[in-house]
Amino acid sequence: MCDTVIEFQNVSFSYGAMQGQRPIEAVRQLSFSIEKGSYVALIGRNGSGKSTIARLMNGLLLPDQGLVMVDGRLTADDDSIYEIRRQCGMVFQNPDNQIIGTTVKDDVAFGPSNLGLPAEEIMRRVDESLAMTGLLDLKERPPHELSGGQKQKLAIASVLAMRPGCIILDEATAMLDPVARRDVMALIGELRKQHGITMVQITHHMEEALTADYVHVISDGGIAFSGTPADVFDQVYRVKSEGLSVPAHLEIARLISERAGVGYDREEIISFEGAVRFVNRVMENHLTGHINECVVKPRFDESRPAVVEVTDLSYSYPAAGGPPIEALRSVSMTVRQGEILGIAGHTGSGKSTLIQHLNGLIPAHKGHVIVLGHDLSEKKEIRQIRPQVGLLFQYPEDQLFEETVALDIAFAPKQQKRSPEEVERAVLRAAGRLGIESILDRSPFELSGGQRRRVAIAGVLAAEPAIVILDEPAAGLDPAGRDDLFKDLLTLSAEGATLIIVSHDMEMMTRYADRILVLKGGGVAGIGTPSEIIASAQFLDQAHLDMPAPKRFLDALADEYKDLDTSCFNVGDAATALLSAKRRAPHG
Amino acid sequence: MGKSMLGRSVPGNSILHRTDARIKFIAAILMMVATLSIRDVRVMALFLVWTILLMAVSRIRPGIILRSVRPIVVIILFAVILHLLTVEGRVLVQIGSLKITEEGLLSGLMTALRLSLMIINTSLLLTLTTTPLAVADALESLLSPLRYLKFPVHEFAMMMSIALRFVPTLMDEAVKIMKAQSSRGANYDTGGLLKRAGGLVSILVPLFVSSFRRADDLAVAMDARCYRGEQGRTRLYAAKLTMADVMFLAVAVLLLVFALVSRQLLPSLGGLLGSTLSVF
Repeated sequence: MCDTVIEFQNVSFSYGAMQGQRPIEAVRQLSFSIEKGSYVALIGRNGSGKSTIARLMNGLLLPDQGLVMVDGRLTADDDSIYEIRRQCGMVFQNPDNQIIGTTVKDDVAFGPSNLGLPAEEIMRRVDESLAMTGLLDLKERPPHELSGGQKQKLAIASVLAMRPGCIILDEATAMLDPVARRDVMALIGELRKQHGITMVQITHHMEEALTADYVHVISDGGIAFSGTPADVFDQVYRVKSEGLSVPAHLEIARLISERAGVGYDREEIISFEGAVRFVNRVMENHLTGHINECVVKPRFDESRPAVVEVTDLSYSYPAAGGPPIEALRSVSMTVRQGEILGIAGHTGSGKSTLIQHLNGLIPAHKGHVIVLGHDLSEKKEIRQIRPQVGLLFQYPEDQLFEETVALDIAFAPKQQKRSPEEVERAVLRAAGRLGIESILDRSPFELSGGQRRRVAIAGVLAAEPAIVILDEPAAGLDPAGRDDLFKDLLTLSAEGATLIIVSHDMEMMTRYADRILVLKGGGVAGIGTPSEIIASAQFLDQAHLDMPAPKRFLDALADEYKDLDTSCFNVGDAATALLSAKRRAPHG
Repeated sequence: MGKSMLGRSVPGNSILHRTDARIKFIAAILMMVATLSIRDVRVMALFLVWTILLMAVSRIRPGIILRSVRPIVVIILFAVILHLLTVEGRVLVQIGSLKITEEGLLSGLMTALRLSLMIINTSLLLTLTTTPLAVADALESLLSPLRYLKFPVHEFAMMMSIALRFVPTLMDEAVKIMKAQSSRGANYDTGGLLKRAGGLVSILVPLFVSSFRRADDLAVAMDARCYRGEQGRTRLYAAKLTMADVMFLAVAVLLLVFALVSRQLLPSLGGLLGSTLSVF
């Protein structure tokens, strides 16, 4: 009897128990099982214990109490551990830290070599796995030449080469951009369909959980509740109270149902198409009211002084053994004081190169960058401008280095040679803005990822810059953490700082930015208010960006209704717009 | 950025690519000793021909191969100038007290060739046509007698190959951290030596912390893929030696023998040249 691949019986696990420290309980009294051939999603906040559960599944961690069985074998049994790990392959979050081989081929061969297979068999499996993941052309490449999405596919190929029955994906898409994420998800779906591999996906991207057979919501090291995606996401309040979110199409459909007083079938609205169909049906019989428009942020006052002026900026860097790569092609833009400017674009579109010009990390050679009246093509001007422009790269928590949080935040004001009292005041002010006053005395290295992110942001704000530039500030945070962070950034803007936010997340950008600049292939594809930028689905598609879900939902119905205002940035507005739209008269 | 010479093998399927990495490893050492011991310009010419032959056989663009000499061009130039100006002999040109002699010209040329051929041979055999993992595997195999002395041969080889794998990643990371700290006002290019060294802390600490995290992650990833040391592990590149491998080795040995013997037998061309024993 082996219908279950993985089975947990009363499993508890604590960290630190062995080192004699106060143990931190990560998993408590957990029992559940995963059926062969199924697709199961584990969702939950950062720090809910998801990854620990994943590592208990293939014996990377062993339970303190209880049993974990894989295919009828105990993970605690030394004799079966390698068979269990072969059977349950694992793909991790960070694409860089799981590639062992110095070439794609060598990495795929690593697992089978450990199994002691004959060399010819290993080479056959390498080709086979690379073909299954579409990486055959990259066979001889060193891993650092691959994109993030390709690296994760390589990690999957390396697992496939061990012919697993089950693949555990531990936030495997968390560090990817939307295009790469979809790509990897499509591959996972295909592998499951064609080869019947059991998939266990740990994620806090709710869209990824929608296509699962079964969803477990993890909280405090246990299962808070579970069910089919339709069951789980129907409990909107429960899901949100776990710090997670509900996909927009579900929420719109539920709001419409509520306001129109018409029941819905939760299996139907779980898919985007089903939700659109449902809403359309409800509206057919629903009386229309007056035209109601979506609430749009008031247009930003364009008479404000410009703080950043970029004119005709180009930049290219030399490439090994080829022509130089053009990272920026005559980019021009203006940012006004107090504005929130979003910069969106696919990976490699030039976003990172552009923001590095704004504080002179890359001096402007071709074109002009004028920040707060200083021309950044001159070195001494750059030095003067640095304290005025705070720049945070992706995953800024990697730059922390001091013994305590307070000292780390003090780094920037100290560089400005301020008096000790002033430095302390600056530290307290910055910490207060991000709600981290209580951890000032702790070491940054013992904090959670979300807290460290906040420390790093405070470390830049402490210099009290007039302009703050953030590259994907919410990357890797769960939905609630993402919302909290954006709210804090909004207060910063309300106090007069100019914000430039780089992100792939079009939903957040449309909600918070005054204007959005879209980069494509190093050039400006468009700049305008969020409504203007998301007006055309085709435009976004060509820039490899995602249409925010509320707008996508309304667009799907736009043909049926006249005067439907589709430029809504949140689900509530979208539902209101729908309820007040008039059905277009039948053709004829 | 991150495009160091380390670990930059050029994919291909030439005879040189297919030759056993252990053989190439030994051959590279033999060739190194040989080029160092040549005194006669005719023998050097023979080695030049051999190297050009290897380059042709590798089917790698000559431009890429010659790039490996670039890092030591300054050293070569320095050595050549030193020889030109210091070796006594028949004067060819004289400017003031500077004399350039025929012997100086010859020994300068020899030195330039000696160094370039050494680098080209080594990089052709070891870095360009052999993946770092194959080199590590070869090293493991060659060092295996040391096992009897309780030397952790496999672990050493695995460490080397992982280090090679992470060189580009860590270089990118260092640049990123430096830029991040510069954005916080750190200044790495002015100030005294002590101040600059102090500034390094803000780069090195995060770099160390992240390296440890990467090492942790990597260890878990290796565990997850059934790594258990060398026990029961297939060594992919330690294939059986082919006839071609043996022939290749034989040629390399012959060349070395020839280079050594020529020191004794061939009458030296440039009178004083023979006494130039050092590398320069």
